[in-house]
Amino acid sequence: MASTRREFLKASLGAAGLVSFGPAGPWLRRSAAAATGRSPARNTVLVVVQLSGGNDGLNTVIPYNDATYAKSRPTLRMTPDEVHKIDSELGFHPRMQAFLRLYRDGLLSIVQGVGYPNNNRDHDGAMRDWHTARPGEAACQTGWLGRTIDALFRPDDGNVPGVFVGPIAQPFGLHAERAIVPTVRSLHQWRLQATSGPAAGAHRARLVEAAELDRPSDPSPLLKSARQTTLAAYAGSEQIEAVVRGGPSLQAAGYPDSLLGRDLHTVAQLIRADVGIRVYFTELGGGGIGGLDNHANQRGNHGAVLHQLAEAVAAFSDDLVREKLADRVLLMTFSEFGRTVAENGRRGTGHGAAAPMFLAGGKVQSGLIGAHPSLADQDQGALKFHTDFRRVYATVLDRWLGLDSQAILGDKYEPVDVLRV
Amino acid sequence: MSTTTHAPAGPHDSQGPARPPAGDPADPQWAWVAYEPDDARPWNLALAGHLYRRAAFGADWAQLQRALADGPRRAVERLLEPETEVAAFDRRHDELEESANADALRAWWLRRMVQTPHPLQEKMTLFWHGHFGATAARVNYAPLMRGHVQLLRQHALGSYPPLLEAVSRDPAMLVSVGAAENRKMVPNDHYARELLARFSLGSGNFMEEDVEEAARAFTGWRVLRNRLRYFPGDHDGDVKRILGREGNFDGDDVVEIVLQQPATPRLLVRKLYRWLVSETDEPSDALLAPLAESFAADYDVARLVRTILRSNLFFSPRAYRQRIKSPVEFALGIVRGLEALAPTEKLAGDLAAMGQNLYHPPTVKGWKGGRFWLNQATLVGRSNLAAEMLLGAKPYADKLDPSAVAKKHGHAAPQAAARFLVDLFLQGDLDEGVADRLFEGAAAGEGGPAERLRRFAHAVVTLPEFQLA
Repeated sequence: MASTRREFLKASLGAAGLVSFGPAGPWLRRSAAAATGRSPARNTVLVVVQLSGGNDGLNTVIPYNDATYAKSRPTLRMTPDEVHKIDSELGFHPRMQAFLRLYRDGLLSIVQGVGYPNNNRDHDGAMRDWHTARPGEAACQTGWLGRTIDALFRPDDGNVPGVFVGPIAQPFGLHAERAIVPTVRSLHQWRLQATSGPAAGAHRARLVEAAELDRPSDPSPLLKSARQTTLAAYAGSEQIEAVVRGGPSLQAAGYPDSLLGRDLHTVAQLIRADVGIRVYFTELGGGGIGGLDNHANQRGNHGAVLHQLAEAVAAFSDDLVREKLADRVLLMTFSEFGRTVAENGRRGTGHGAAAPMFLAGGKVQSGLIGAHPSLADQDQGALKFHTDFRRVYATVLDRWLGLDSQAILGDKYEPVDVLRV
Repeated sequence: MSTTTHAPAGPHDSQGPARPPAGDPADPQWAWVAYEPDDARPWNLALAGHLYRRAAFGADWAQLQRALADGPRRAVERLLEPETEVAAFDRRHDELEESANADALRAWWLRRMVQTPHPLQEKMTLFWHGHFGATAARVNYAPLMRGHVQLLRQHALGSYPPLLEAVSRDPAMLVSVGAAENRKMVPNDHYARELLARFSLGSGNFMEEDVEEAARAFTGWRVLRNRLRYFPGDHDGDVKRILGREGNFDGDDVVEIVLQQPATPRLLVRKLYRWLVSETDEPSDALLAPLAESFAADYDVARLVRTILRSNLFFSPRAYRQRIKSPVEFALGIVRGLEALAPTEKLAGDLAAMGQNLYHPPTVKGWKGGRFWLNQATLVGRSNLAAEMLLGAKPYADKLDPSAVAKKHGHAAPQAAARFLVDLFLQGDLDEGVADRLFEGAAAGEGGPAERLRRFAHAVVTLPEFQLA
């Protein structure tokens, strides 16, 4: 990595290069310093994976010896020899061998029994609750990650604190009051476009130079701010392009060619590009009443989705470990509710309550966090929660992102011991 | 006739160093007096451009030249009361919008902004849209949002009391803030809260009790099947105490009460200051007092806007280039400058990606604007949109033709055409060193003169200078 942004730009823009810079403004040195001297608290990354539709946690982390489990799920139960055993009581769904590997490598944490009081069992309402972290506040105007992004945005820098990566409409969790949150459909959109062909490089160089040059006659702070952000934008675009050009393809990097695989590959590239994004939001299941909402014939479909999840997250984890970035990244899954304990008559399950959240990364407190909810003590046919999801959010905000969770969530929540920080 | 580029120390500087303005922009006695050009502060292309950036969505060359010839008084009058038939244009567009869904509504509004003979009306409609913050994301029924924005347009340069009364009865507004149902047994304070906090007095000027009592006054109203209905049985007819007044008030009474509070005109004036004058300073109450007092007399928005747009302060360095162009202003400045049309459905989507999704303000507080428009992603977005408009093929670039426009106004030769574009887009507001480098670049590179001029135009509109309104 070049020592200053200017040198980096000069090196990467090719033959046309940058002819004359004029005296380097103070902003350049400041932004270069900022790039290299970040403290750990301001360098960490959160990757959220939304599982849309209500994930059946009971068939994800499975109490395979439990009698009630077996009795409640004649067609959906997984037997002791099918599961990937975590310990003498619990095992992963048969199609999640990749998660067992992560778990054994100390890179996966399972927070059990997550939910909230009187949880909404309607898709829209429940997902809104998880997005806003303000259950019951139907008029809440922002998402918890939108508030996070608002807290992280600095107008002087024009930094992009968070993005959504995926093909669906941007989820409400990212809805911010002030900051603008991009949706990344492909990294191509972050490339500075120009005419194609040999003219393009020279033209792009001219654009950068035009913003670079000093304006001794115009001391306007607003202009300076616009220049600063423009140059940071150009530099970031080049950094992203360099990562895409120089890095391995999806398959070469070991990612499955699934929607989530591609999205997490994009996330990894953006992390490597080091453009200052702290929050990434991805989604599995297609949003809305999503792919995990299996009211009928759950077995095959659920297995397929869990397999996609496990393979993609494991590939992402492996990639980060190789790139020595695993200690800076925390991945977190959530779904709007779990499912009913008993299967219905159509080999599926209904909307439920508590379910596990997965946390993956180099700094997780690997293992099972909290006990598995008892099947003998259900909440209207579903598993009872014991860990409020806002405690997990608060932990991530305070201890991982270095922010004030109370300001963002509106209340103080007791942290959960999921991180080794 | 094009001016040469200069060192822009301020809007009045056309040659040589800056001369200080005749008065102190912080002096309320001087600030709002109508600007009269003189030797120290001549009327020039830069000020004409400034006026059109604020009161419209940019200008084409003919409009700039005419404004230059008109002088500030006539130029402002033209923008407030256009000579062309606006009513017919508006009616036609209302018809065209009739069956539009939310996406198409965005596109139709952009088309209005480009083609309307009354851009100030559209600029003010956009202001009210952000002020009230009703969003299609919550309303979910296009005709309601269509009706809402048409209502805003109707009153855009009218009077605030009828606008506020109408919005208080607008189903789109009530649904948007979660006040679709407000019953005596279960009072809903969502609209009352926004009414007091954002549409009238402002935070810190009322008590929580005022919100609760106002909510009671608005009981009985419910939005059913997209219509507002009144149920007398659900109305709390008892006495309420709001802002020191006492009576069995209903919603209309509450609107009247808040309009009588001096904090209300102050809030509106301050918001309009940010919209029309500057986003970089926080004007003192003393500075805004003359405007607020005058506005309080009759709440005449057109009169207030006229005062601001005619004023010494508006045409002073304190206002000049002190706003950031919103995505709409950025894109339409290019389109209008090049006397072109644009495929508005695509444009609406592109502008939404840059943070300005028309009909969808992010919250009831509207768009934050200012430097929040610019981040490292949206700036790439602006550059790429401009590239599509100026360099690419369809759907944009076959409609925008810098060479043709330059030639039309007498500048066929490449260097002359380039200088013309700097005057058109920036009125010469560009450091000489930067301009010289750009002109050098304009003569180089692949392709014929038309292609090179397109790249030059792209370089100009991606300058940080062009992002300043």
